[in-house]
Amino acid sequence: MSRADPADRRGQEQAGLVQEFMDHWEALSGDAWLALGGVDDVRRAVGEAVRAMIPDRASGTPAQVVAWATEELAPLGLPALLASLGCECVWWTDWPGGAAGAGDPRAASAAGPADEPGPAKAAVLQPQELAAGSDLGITTCAWAVADTGTIALYATPSTWRLPSLLPTAHLALVRPSQIVRSIPDGLRLMAEHRAQQGDLPSAVNLVSGPSRSADIEGDLAVGVHGPRRAGVIIGEW
Amino acid sequence: MPGILPPAGAPWPERRRRALGDPTMREAVGKSTRSLAEKKAAAYAAYPLGEAMRVRAVAARREALGHTDALLEEFTRQVEARGGHVARADGPADVGRYVLAVARRRGARRVVKSKSMATEEVALNEQLEAAGLHVRETDLGEYIIQLARERPAHILVPASHKTRQQIRTLFDDEAERSGDPPPGGDATPELTAFARRQLREEFLAADIGITGGNFLVAETGTLVLITNEGNGRMTTSLPPVHIAVVGIDKVVATWDDLAVLLQQAPMSGTGQLISTYTSFITGPRRPGEVDGPEEFHLVLLDNGRHELLGTAYEDVLTCIRCGACLNVCPVFRTIGGQAYGSMYSGPIGVVLTPLLGGLAHAPELPKSACAMCHACRDACPMEIELPRLILALRRTEIEESMEPPTVRLTFELWGRFWAHPAGFHLTARLAQLGQRAFMQKGRLTRAPGLVGGWTATRDSPPVARETFHQWWRRTRPGSPP
Repeated sequence: MSRADPADRRGQEQAGLVQEFMDHWEALSGDAWLALGGVDDVRRAVGEAVRAMIPDRASGTPAQVVAWATEELAPLGLPALLASLGCECVWWTDWPGGAAGAGDPRAASAAGPADEPGPAKAAVLQPQELAAGSDLGITTCAWAVADTGTIALYATPSTWRLPSLLPTAHLALVRPSQIVRSIPDGLRLMAEHRAQQGDLPSAVNLVSGPSRSADIEGDLAVGVHGPRRAGVIIGEW
Repeated sequence: MPGILPPAGAPWPERRRRALGDPTMREAVGKSTRSLAEKKAAAYAAYPLGEAMRVRAVAARREALGHTDALLEEFTRQVEARGGHVARADGPADVGRYVLAVARRRGARRVVKSKSMATEEVALNEQLEAAGLHVRETDLGEYIIQLARERPAHILVPASHKTRQQIRTLFDDEAERSGDPPPGGDATPELTAFARRQLREEFLAADIGITGGNFLVAETGTLVLITNEGNGRMTTSLPPVHIAVVGIDKVVATWDDLAVLLQQAPMSGTGQLISTYTSFITGPRRPGEVDGPEEFHLVLLDNGRHELLGTAYEDVLTCIRCGACLNVCPVFRTIGGQAYGSMYSGPIGVVLTPLLGGLAHAPELPKSACAMCHACRDACPMEIELPRLILALRRTEIEESMEPPTVRLTFELWGRFWAHPAGFHLTARLAQLGQRAFMQKGRLTRAPGLVGGWTATRDSPPVARETFHQWWRRTRPGSPP
């Protein structure tokens, strides 16, 4: 083994980063699922995550899930998947007046005004109420850091701030290729984004596990303000 | 002219007496500081990159001080180019006026705050409440302190002196006031759930969110905010107006500088490699975005900082408020934060309080709240020479003749007397002979004359039966003395 194939070495390095990212995320009391087997595998992991992160509802009303309406999430077919899991899936769109509804994220994306408004209930909800009333928020991320167990979320019209903040739980989908070694490595990706787009996003949030506090006798408490549970799926889709 | 800090409350002897007479607080502070200090050491040991970045961060912070004004100008330009507003505040009144003007224009009534030393420094809550606004602290520790109507006891863990029973009582009272169900018990999840419910409502109803800031990045006009609970994200995402109040010392030039600096605060403060939430805020909500504040204001607070630039005290402005010096300080571990009578406690408070508020504001801190053990110097990630600065403040205090001339003369004569071997030997001999009358359980608890002032608040080990010189002569007969 005098000369390793560079592609192999990159592959091994990537596998190492994935493992370290997962280990660190879990050490911060986060949940992690690995799904490297394609779309169906990721859908399976989403199912596991939903069952694990949303507590059983005694009332019988379906759990509400809010997700980013992005092209990136579209291939997963979340609305049908979530419906099969007994959840109602809501998206926020940038339609004039701010309507929200269940449906295909591509139809509801920033591509242009859609002609079919969402259900009547959703139409009157402000984004804040929509997110605050949800049991789970599903997002992707811009990059992730292996050393610290961190994901980076950029605020844009479609990738808004609240689904990762107000719901009881947050689930982020991360691709292995998005995982870098250190925080400075991630900030370099942010600098590249700035060079390409002409500016930084209005808000970038680095998240490392669920909301925590040690303000009561130094006793670690999870979920003081933000999500009580924070999950990641490392997947290829 | 230095800045203005809130009054210390009770005089120093009273604050000290109260602290020493509160065993519950002392045990809690002792426990939390030791645990934080251990976690810090473990974090740097486990993450060598952190130490490499720290060394570069010190250089970047000191470099930035050299051109603070230019960096602030650049920062201001960048924020304004994105539709944000920047104001410069000389002192507390300027901050209050600015925030109240925004509140009036918006017809705002409810304010949520995330933990901020700068707003503590200018007593912003009091100013806003006096004008009829409802202000709610949302960091769990600060919320507890606000309900108790106290001051933070520690830069990072403001309620570290409160027991869960005390916290439950505060929450029960608050539940009665607001008509909400009280916490189910005093277990951490029950107390936390109560705070989460209460504060969630405050966030959703707030008209203005006020934060501090850990750093400012000049090249993009970015505010950097570090929190663990997520209250910082709530405060900057939910209310339609976000106002950040940040000291002018928090500005760094570039993202390369920030990259090495960012993890130092959590690593040194709590031993985390990074805080749970780190937010980079670059201007208000942009067109098309559905959340985030419509208005973004940044108030740059001077309050005595600018005049420290270029002086021997300049390095104190590189402080990142991690609290590492508090956690290793034997004085802080003994008396806790509230005895300092300042929002800045521990070694950094001993230096920063008189520098920002004027030496006349807190002459007792450099004089009495430091044992010159140098533990803080070793703990400071920014390598601030706190013991040297404390000594310099003591010297300045004497030079400014704040002590009566007789005291000054006494010290001068004493210095000359001890500079001579015969004088020193004589003192040791007299002390050996005379100390028996003042001893209690093997410690010197009283002393005659001026020295009695010193032992009024401290015990001293007795002078040894044999002095070093006597021991030397006995064990090495014939060698030169």
